Amino acid sequence: MTQPTSTPAPSPEGKACQLHPQSMCPAFGALRVLTRIEGAHPVMASDTGCLYGLKFVTHFYGARKSILAAHLGTEELMAGEVVEATRAAIEVAAQEPGCQLIPVISLCVAETVGLPEEMLPKRVGEAEVVLVRVPAYAIHSHPETKDVALAALLGKLGSPPAERNGRTLVLLGEVFPADPLGIDGLLRQMGVEGTISLPGRSIDDLRRAASAGAVAPLHPFYKQTLGVFREWGVPVAGGAPVGISGTYAWLKAIGSLLQLDPAQVEATASAERERAQAMLSALPLSGRILVTGYEGSELAYARLLVEAGAEVPFVSTSIGPDPLVLPDETWLRARGTRQVVYRKALEDDVRALDEYQPDLVLGTTPFCAIAKERGIPAMYFTNQLASRPFFLSTGMAATLSFIRDALGRAERYEWMRDFFEGEEAARG
Amino acid sequence: MARVIRDLPETSSYWAAVWTACALPDVHVICDAPIGCFNLVATAVPDYTDAIPHLQNITPSVITEQEVGGSGTGPAVQRTYEGLRDEGLLDGKRLIVISTAESEMIGSDLTDLVKTFAPGSGFFHSESLSDDEWIGRDRILLWLWEQYGAAAAQAVAVEPGLVNIIGPTYGCFNSAADLHEVRRLIEGAGGRVNLVFPFESRLENIAQLGRAQVNVLLYREFGESLAEALGQPWLHAPMGMRASNAFVQRLGELLDTGPQAAAFMRQEKETTLQAVWDLWKGPQGDWFGTTSVGVVATGTYVTGLQAFLGEELGMPIVFAVNRPPRPGDLDTEALRHLLHTRPPAFVFGSINEKIYLSEGGARQTSFIPAAFPGPVVRRAVGTPFMGYRGTVYLLQEIVNRLYEALYNFLPLDSAYANQGKGTAPSPVPGNLPWQPQARAALDAALEKMPFLARISASRELQMRAEAFARQQGAAEVSLEVAQAALDQPGG
Repeated sequence: MTQPTSTPAPSPEGKACQLHPQSMCPAFGALRVLTRIEGAHPVMASDTGCLYGLKFVTHFYGARKSILAAHLGTEELMAGEVVEATRAAIEVAAQEPGCQLIPVISLCVAETVGLPEEMLPKRVGEAEVVLVRVPAYAIHSHPETKDVALAALLGKLGSPPAERNGRTLVLLGEVFPADPLGIDGLLRQMGVEGTISLPGRSIDDLRRAASAGAVAPLHPFYKQTLGVFREWGVPVAGGAPVGISGTYAWLKAIGSLLQLDPAQVEATASAERERAQAMLSALPLSGRILVTGYEGSELAYARLLVEAGAEVPFVSTSIGPDPLVLPDETWLRARGTRQVVYRKALEDDVRALDEYQPDLVLGTTPFCAIAKERGIPAMYFTNQLASRPFFLSTGMAATLSFIRDALGRAERYEWMRDFFEGEEAARG
Repeated sequence: MARVIRDLPETSSYWAAVWTACALPDVHVICDAPIGCFNLVATAVPDYTDAIPHLQNITPSVITEQEVGGSGTGPAVQRTYEGLRDEGLLDGKRLIVISTAESEMIGSDLTDLVKTFAPGSGFFHSESLSDDEWIGRDRILLWLWEQYGAAAAQAVAVEPGLVNIIGPTYGCFNSAADLHEVRRLIEGAGGRVNLVFPFESRLENIAQLGRAQVNVLLYREFGESLAEALGQPWLHAPMGMRASNAFVQRLGELLDTGPQAAAFMRQEKETTLQAVWDLWKGPQGDWFGTTSVGVVATGTYVTGLQAFLGEELGMPIVFAVNRPPRPGDLDTEALRHLLHTRPPAFVFGSINEKIYLSEGGARQTSFIPAAFPGPVVRRAVGTPFMGYRGTVYLLQEIVNRLYEALYNFLPLDSAYANQGKGTAPSPVPGNLPWQPQARAALDAALEKMPFLARISASRELQMRAEAFARQQGAAEVSLEVAQAALDQPGG
């Protein structure tokens, strides 16, 4: 059973006033991942407010999918009928055409009353039932519930096979669809026979993930999921194919982990390094950038920007500190990043805006709005960066061209600020 | 018996309370909430509709395991209050603490604690575990009046000619445009707008609600409790030509501005409503009788669209589902089934209905956003559904979408179409004979489609079936071949 993780203490740098913590509703991460699976029909156990809000957002980011829920009003909650209500919704979900998987997403109120897993069916007809516990009071950011959801799915659907395919690799993390294709292509040049992307759209991928030779988290918050892979004896490859040094080191690490031909690996890795270097010389950055999203992947983006020549004095994210993020943090601190804030609040970001006077902000929407009020170019990290190619030299090119373009738009942001402050008219 | 929700169409009373109280700029709200209830209501949903701005006057108590596990939310709310006070965020503002489903779940009643905060602070128990957004809005509108207005209003005298507009709160579909038009109707009828509440109001002025001679409720779903408490006559905002006339006339009677109201109605007929008259007289009007419509929206919009599109223009209303539901309404399962099997030409609704249309592959149906949830920006004041201008806007939407549908039915030379996916069947010379059962299957399939789509769909299906038959070397179209053509996606 998947237990909610508890929150580590806030980082010392974020100690000052932190009134407005920044994350989407944590459960959203799980819902997004689960609605996107072909053949999955989620059932939610929640109050109507979060159900409405999560559906609202999921129809933008998740899938065009009808969402079922247990009716949990005062009556059901107080009479202890949460299980009955949830079972009823599971029965309806099982009737959906092609239903193979029913994730039950248990949120704050259901978790407070208690939803015992043994009281839910394990399987209805063709569909597996998987309980995913994601109360927002216990898991404090939405990236981390992607991990909780995936770990629950793998725990239920995956089992270590008699024979492992040592030359396959699981790529962990929701990334731009072209990225895994590019990574897969390079890995095949090195002798890898196949890759599996998780979380993805295929239930079969969940079932066969346990047979992989290694797992590579492209994002640093898949803690519980990696725990499942470790239990299966699947080794973990650290780092990610980001930037020049990161990509080279990652390809080499995969090579040694999967025991590929060293010469072939070196040839592929150094060729990719050359491409990345050429790309970087063609697209150098200059300027001061704050990276302040809440997707959990901010440190890796900051790393790429620094490698390309930008100054990134401040990085903040919604996830907690973790050994998986530490290499990126160390790398950044060695190259001029002065603050890295985990579990950040809006106040942390605003203080950084005051202190560092950046040329560009890649942040959450409330923070971007504040930056725009000051005439500073600002982009919603989630929509504009986390949804763009990022990995390897090709991803690097896409991301860096976008950033260069954004840095070049300063005048427009200033004009707009002046217009709405009424100074335009005064200037004539 | 356990009830199952499919695609919840309305939110809880906690959201309603926040979307009402935060519309008052001199209020700061502490929501007694885990991070999720704060984020969704104040940031995430506002990211996808401009019917709610990013709310800056709300701060969460951030319920964690500690609060759920036994300490209760009192200390967290106290801490949040002190933080806001020390940062100066409460200067010149009244603090309102609002409960959420989760704080109610753990039994957190902060009435006494909030009394120890700055004078004038209030605790609103939102009853979020049981009440929906309509009840919630109605309750907090009355609560605000009782807590902050009623006593001071004893000294406020009613002033002839003044009218309040009650109801525009965050998260109400199309409220900017509807409010703009209703204000125009009130002024046209000879009234002067006193307060628009809660939009455009401040909490400190709430006693001034008592000055109005008449109250206009923008929505049927909420606001009546406040209107009754205010004690003056009240009207619902109108939709459709007849209801708009009745509204202007009645307002003229109540305000004793009858002649002005009558002149306004005449003038609107000669100007704004000419667009409706011209389209009615033109070829566009001929489509109405055979263009079917389904509506899923608030009772306000359902009533209005039925009156205007159904009774006044004569469009067949094949279903009308109210939010909140009224007795006799289709339930969501039945509605979904209907949209999968026999979708009308137009569906007014939320993203839920749009998803059902996608599931059923209803390519011939035009979807018009008319309700939340769903990502839509809607702050232009020129897109009302209410009032005289609402009739013109609705008609314009419908006719333009009919044109769009007709355009999409026009044949495109297959040489171009095939550059893409190569799915369009090429025309072949001559007609193949159809077996009677095959013909019946084609007719049955066409019968399920909106009228306007049939002519082009029949041509397309016929061509596809005959192409199948020719591929098989058949001399006529059998039932099997016809069925295969009909079963193709998009058939």
